[in-house]
Amino acid sequence: MKILRLALLELLRRPKKNLVIASSIVIAVALLTSLSIVSNSANLAIMEIIAKTGHTLTVRPAVTSAGTNPEEKNQEYKLTTSEVVLGSYIPEAAVPEIMKYYDKAIKEGWEKKGGLVSNPGIPETSLEPATWAPRLFEKAEVDGQEVIVTGIEIRKEYFVRFWWNLTSGDWPAETDVRDVNTNVSTLYTIGSDGKVTIDKTEYGVDSSGRLIAAQDKTGKAAPILKGWDDAYLGGAYAKAKGLKLGDKLTINKSEFTIRGVLEETNSADDYMVFIPLSTAQKLFNKEGQISMVSVRAMCPNCPVGDAMVELNKHVTGITAVSQLDVAGVQFDFFNMLYKFLLAVIVSTIAVGIFSIFNIVTGSLYARIREIGMLKAIGASRFQLFRIFIYEHFILGLAAGICGYVLGLGMAYILNTLLDTGAVIRITTDFLWRALILGIVCSLVAIIYPAYKLSKLKITETFRTQWEG
Amino acid sequence: MSEFIETKGLKKIYHVGGQKVEALQGIDLEIARGDFVVFMGHSGSGKTTLVSTIGGLTRPTEGTVLIEGNDIWKLNDKQLSHFRNRKIGFMFQSFSLLPTLNVLNNVVMPAIFSANSGKKDSDTLKSKAISLLTDLDMKRKVNSFPSELSGGEQRRVAIARALINDPEIILADEPTGDLDIRTEREVIDIFCHINNAYQKTLIIVSHSLTWLEKAKTIIVMKDGLIFKDLADPVEAIMDGVCKP
Ligand SMILES: Nc1ncnc2c1ncn2[C@@H]1O[C@H](COP(=O)(O)OP(=O)(O)OP(=O)(O)O)[C@@H](O)[C@H]1O
Ligand SMILES: [Mg+2]
Repeated sequence: MKILRLALLELLRRPKKNLVIASSIVIAVALLTSLSIVSNSANLAIMEIIAKTGHTLTVRPAVTSAGTNPEEKNQEYKLTTSEVVLGSYIPEAAVPEIMKYYDKAIKEGWEKKGGLVSNPGIPETSLEPATWAPRLFEKAEVDGQEVIVTGIEIRKEYFVRFWWNLTSGDWPAETDVRDVNTNVSTLYTIGSDGKVTIDKTEYGVDSSGRLIAAQDKTGKAAPILKGWDDAYLGGAYAKAKGLKLGDKLTINKSEFTIRGVLEETNSADDYMVFIPLSTAQKLFNKEGQISMVSVRAMCPNCPVGDAMVELNKHVTGITAVSQLDVAGVQFDFFNMLYKFLLAVIVSTIAVGIFSIFNIVTGSLYARIREIGMLKAIGASRFQLFRIFIYEHFILGLAAGICGYVLGLGMAYILNTLLDTGAVIRITTDFLWRALILGIVCSLVAIIYPAYKLSKLKITETFRTQWEG
Repeated sequence: MSEFIETKGLKKIYHVGGQKVEALQGIDLEIARGDFVVFMGHSGSGKTTLVSTIGGLTRPTEGTVLIEGNDIWKLNDKQLSHFRNRKIGFMFQSFSLLPTLNVLNNVVMPAIFSANSGKKDSDTLKSKAISLLTDLDMKRKVNSFPSELSGGEQRRVAIARALINDPEIILADEPTGDLDIRTEREVIDIFCHINNAYQKTLIIVSHSLTWLEKAKTIIVMKDGLIFKDLADPVEAIMDGVCKP
């Protein structure tokens, strides 16, 4: 016979009460375990995407140059890549300068860090030059309704926005609209590895708004550029309008053909119509102007923050914002959800502990007679205290184990419900945390009543038994 | 040479709702080793209070309790627990057995609160418990649970439990209070046997006159004091005999 065994037997003596206590701890542990497993897995998945693909930096026109008030300036950093900037522009010619500072800052930051920073799941990488994609936002009439029409360089855009997928249609072939005609010199080319080479071109638009090569080097009549009237639709927009691949669209009186519909990404992209940048510039009389540039860093742990600081310092008329882009948005979303659920769970636990406290106090007072007897036969205050502590330690441990197992199951369900797309990852840390939480919950509820009872005078315990 | 048990000017005052209750009003008492003392007296006369002060359960307001010359109320909680555990075997009517433990484990229970009892100890302890139970004619019931025992049998188990640590004093408050007269006689005989065979000092509180047949010393209490001039204890207790 040991005090531990006595405690265990005492515990089994009140199965119903202890089951009630245990189940509230089990629920608390299960909730917290599942939540932390899911959020941890989701965050890890996001971190991996970030690590694999690099961060994205967004360069937009400085809001101040558009003459807006300081209050709006504070808002700047809250904007995400998906947000639309209307009415202010960056000259396209500034892009090489932007990229110069960007590459310089990244290179310096990279070297300062001591070269390669190893990253989980990523092979040793060398410093690759960044890829960038310009956008031009304009409000326009599409089939008689006002929509944001975005001019993009399609192949660059989907390289930078690596999370883009088409539900139907195809991306344009190897080359972009401006270099279709081999007779026209190209502004840039993208290799199969995503490297961009910038060049210069000349093009024009004909009387019906079609994009043409302004000049043929051989002096022949200017051909209409292939792909000038391609349109790609945001998923939500296509769904709302019932538009499909091959359908026609009229934007400011020019007709476009739908070449692809994008998967929804839960961003402003979902509601946009995308057309080639050069077409858009002609169509909206914004030649040589863009609304923003997205730059995708091509190294893990790229010092994008450094680049942001450098750009804001050296290039006037722009605001650079570094962000984790789509991943960052998801990240924020999960963190918000996590905090919310955590608050709910913590308050549940608080209420739970309070009710456990009541049950425990009640059942301990029912045991006064027994406590008096134990004291009389020689149990010291500390030994009595130990009986209670052992009982609740065992209870908490058992509840912690059950809560952990339940929490694992719930994590899979929660992961599916939240549609995180993450693979559930379990480490022993979660088990330890579950066990500790279970034990702490169980002990917190008992320590005070147990302490009071172990100090009870024995004669007081006599009297209650007579009265009871 | 002081007596085995000695109390000097023992007072106990309870405060109940602003009122003072003097449960003990200054008790001087000596009990010799090997005595068989029965405390009698009216309800509320202070018997339980006195006995639990001697047993280290109730701290007196004033006065001392000396056991073998040591003031037990000068001990700290740990020492006092040890004293209760080693020196005294308690048996109170309401200090029942633990229902989750079988007879054997109930008997050895005081030993789990004694410091450092190892595996070897636990074996000797069990055989000691069995020999005690055998002596009390309870060998057949070693593995029974308290709910399966009669009142008299439960009392025997409690006696065995009180004896397990070989205490010098057995303290029992109304140990036969709820037993019928025949079973009570059996239990009293057991106490008598313990007093003789084990040389234990017995301190019993009871209302039952059956104890008078076996007790060596009878002490009658009244209003927190010992009733000194005792011609006939029976008379003293039965002052309210119903007369027409
Ligand atoms: N814990 C306590 N708090 C307050 N008063 C108490 C307490 N214990 C005993 N008393 C009072 O002290 C007096 C003596 O009580 P005690 O229990 O010693 O009497 P008793 O002789 O054992 O009585 P009985 O024969 O009914 O058991 C009584 O008036 C009782 O009400
Ligand atoms: Mg009494």
